[in-house]
Amino acid sequence: MSYCVNCGVELDRSLEACPLCNAPVINPRELELELEKAQPSFPTESGNVEAVKRKDMGILMTTIAVATAVTCGLLNLLIFDNVPWSLTIVGLCVVLWVIMIPVVINTRQSVYVSILFDGAAVILYLYMISYMTLSREWFWELGIPITLLVVAVAELFIICVNKLPKSILLQAFCFITAAAIICIGLEIFIDRYLYGEILLSWSAIVLTICVIVDIAIVTILSRRRLRNAVRKRLHF
Amino acid sequence: MAISAEPKGNQNAEDASADLKIKKIREKAARRDWYKLDLSAIVYPTLQRKDFSSVYRLSVLLKEDILPDLLQAAVDITLPRFPTYKVAIRKGLFWRYLELNNRPGPFVKPDVRNPCQPMYFKANNRYLIRVYYYRNRISLEAHHSLGDGTGGMCLLQTLTAVYLRLLGHEIDIEGFVLDVEEQPDQEELEDAYIKYANAKVRPPRPGEKTYRIRGTKEPFYTLNIVDGIMDVTEVLAVSKRYKATMTEYLNAVLLYALLKKQESARYISLKPVKIAMPVNLRRFFPSNTLRNFITMIYPGIDPRLGEYTFEEIVVHVHNYMRYYVNEKLLRGDITTNAATQSNPFIRVVPLFLKDFVVRQFYTKVQDQNSSAGLTNMGALHVPKSMKPFIERFDIYMGQPFSTRTNCAIISYESILTINFASSIIEADVERYFFRKLVEDGIHVKIESNRKFIEE
Repeated sequence: MSYCVNCGVELDRSLEACPLCNAPVINPRELELELEKAQPSFPTESGNVEAVKRKDMGILMTTIAVATAVTCGLLNLLIFDNVPWSLTIVGLCVVLWVIMIPVVINTRQSVYVSILFDGAAVILYLYMISYMTLSREWFWELGIPITLLVVAVAELFIICVNKLPKSILLQAFCFITAAAIICIGLEIFIDRYLYGEILLSWSAIVLTICVIVDIAIVTILSRRRLRNAVRKRLHF
Repeated sequence: MAISAEPKGNQNAEDASADLKIKKIREKAARRDWYKLDLSAIVYPTLQRKDFSSVYRLSVLLKEDILPDLLQAAVDITLPRFPTYKVAIRKGLFWRYLELNNRPGPFVKPDVRNPCQPMYFKANNRYLIRVYYYRNRISLEAHHSLGDGTGGMCLLQTLTAVYLRLLGHEIDIEGFVLDVEEQPDQEELEDAYIKYANAKVRPPRPGEKTYRIRGTKEPFYTLNIVDGIMDVTEVLAVSKRYKATMTEYLNAVLLYALLKKQESARYISLKPVKIAMPVNLRRFFPSNTLRNFITMIYPGIDPRLGEYTFEEIVVHVHNYMRYYVNEKLLRGDITTNAATQSNPFIRVVPLFLKDFVVRQFYTKVQDQNSSAGLTNMGALHVPKSMKPFIERFDIYMGQPFSTRTNCAIISYESILTINFASSIIEADVERYFFRKLVEDGIHVKIESNRKFIEE
């Protein structure tokens, strides 16, 4: 039997180090023989949490979405056929169904693919609206660019959250930067569509505020003492 | 415990009618296929998350390795005797409820390194218990909405007795070992809180934010366990030296460890250190219920008042227990809890709203009322015929709701086991705790499932 030299506790034969303080077990005469013979007191295989099948919910949601789209389509086709209004309903059903895919149908779907699908669904929906209203200009000059911008920024944000070290400050920095880019992009596209030229106004104010906050966050992140002080004062 | 339902020749008409009434109640109970959640159990499902369930584990170590086939047969024989454990949890419009579960299972499985995993309500054929085996250990994991440690221990001991009988040994029906041939007693299925929630006043419940342990979270899903095994007589001797009971002494040691941990973290402002300790209400209010029948007390120390010596901590805990752990105050506590549930305005609130409010209250208030949990099952007794086959028992409180360490104490014969379970890498609280015991002259043997960090 071995004892931890730091803690004074007796250690189970299967332990190579003290679980309380990590001090290695050093007992040259006994160690090799004992480790060969001693069976661990706890199993070594880890278990997996059982996955819950949400198939039933997925089937229900798909059925409701399809039923809504089909019945509204038939209603539009057969009774209220003056305007193709059912396209808005069908488009909305498609968007909601695509958003729910990673939640109930394919929970293993990568978040990047989910965002791409969501973007594609929104573009399809906007196209249906433009088809219904017989106006395409806004779709090509406003709808698509804004959707693509939001999708690209969302993808970049998710990449930053996943790849960079986990830190609330860093995530806040990424979020504020993403918000600033989206605001700038929104105003550029809107100004180009409405006035034919780019005249930044409200988004410049948003950008200024975001830059100030980002500089503060970067300063805090780059100074270890500041970082520790913020963590200590703001921990909850 | 059983009352005869067959009228005898010389009984008068009143007795015969009373017996008939009891027989009808029993038949109705036998036909019953659903149960309301008891007062405590209402909270546990609302705390359910993808990475957390209120699950505890009870283990028994026998003197021989377990035979899985016999263990499975024992589970199949034992479980129908405990209808409130052979259930699935379902959602109603206003409350959740337990429904008898006739799906195949539960199936015994080889044990895992990371126990007390989240228990999803729709997984595992909707069963809320799991039975594991590893070498000579049988482990039972149960969701807290089914019952507390006493109920779970009853199930585990009965299961062990049936298993030993299948091995050919004669085991008596005594104490926690119930007769599996018998119909369940109505009292075992009752919500005992309602029976005793009749105090005329509800004492106030001061709560304050306590010190929260900070640590590096382990990856999903890891539960770090450290078991300390020691001799009961040594611990009793040391407790006597401090003029306290064993529970008070161990409580004080845990408080001492938490205070040292807070001191080492060097926060700007100190906070009170409190332990959430469940009290078994069956000691004060007679009941055979196998469901939850506990309430929480919060012994603690406020380091802002000054630096406490260990002896002062023991005295403080001793006085706290004397003041709070009595039938009067505990009855008031039960009444306060029951009043919330029986309020007509609260009863008609839809379940999803209740879930949201209860969860927010628990996260922002209840969980912040304590720095760590400590459960003490006390000294366990088994039938004399079972003693030769049992080495010891273990109990684990399961994964804590927030990042912290939980401690559970159980003793059997001369062996006292203290089991820590945590979801953080650092083992500081465990280290301070066991070192204090060693300092006081107690010999401690450590077992653990922790993986060691290479430096």
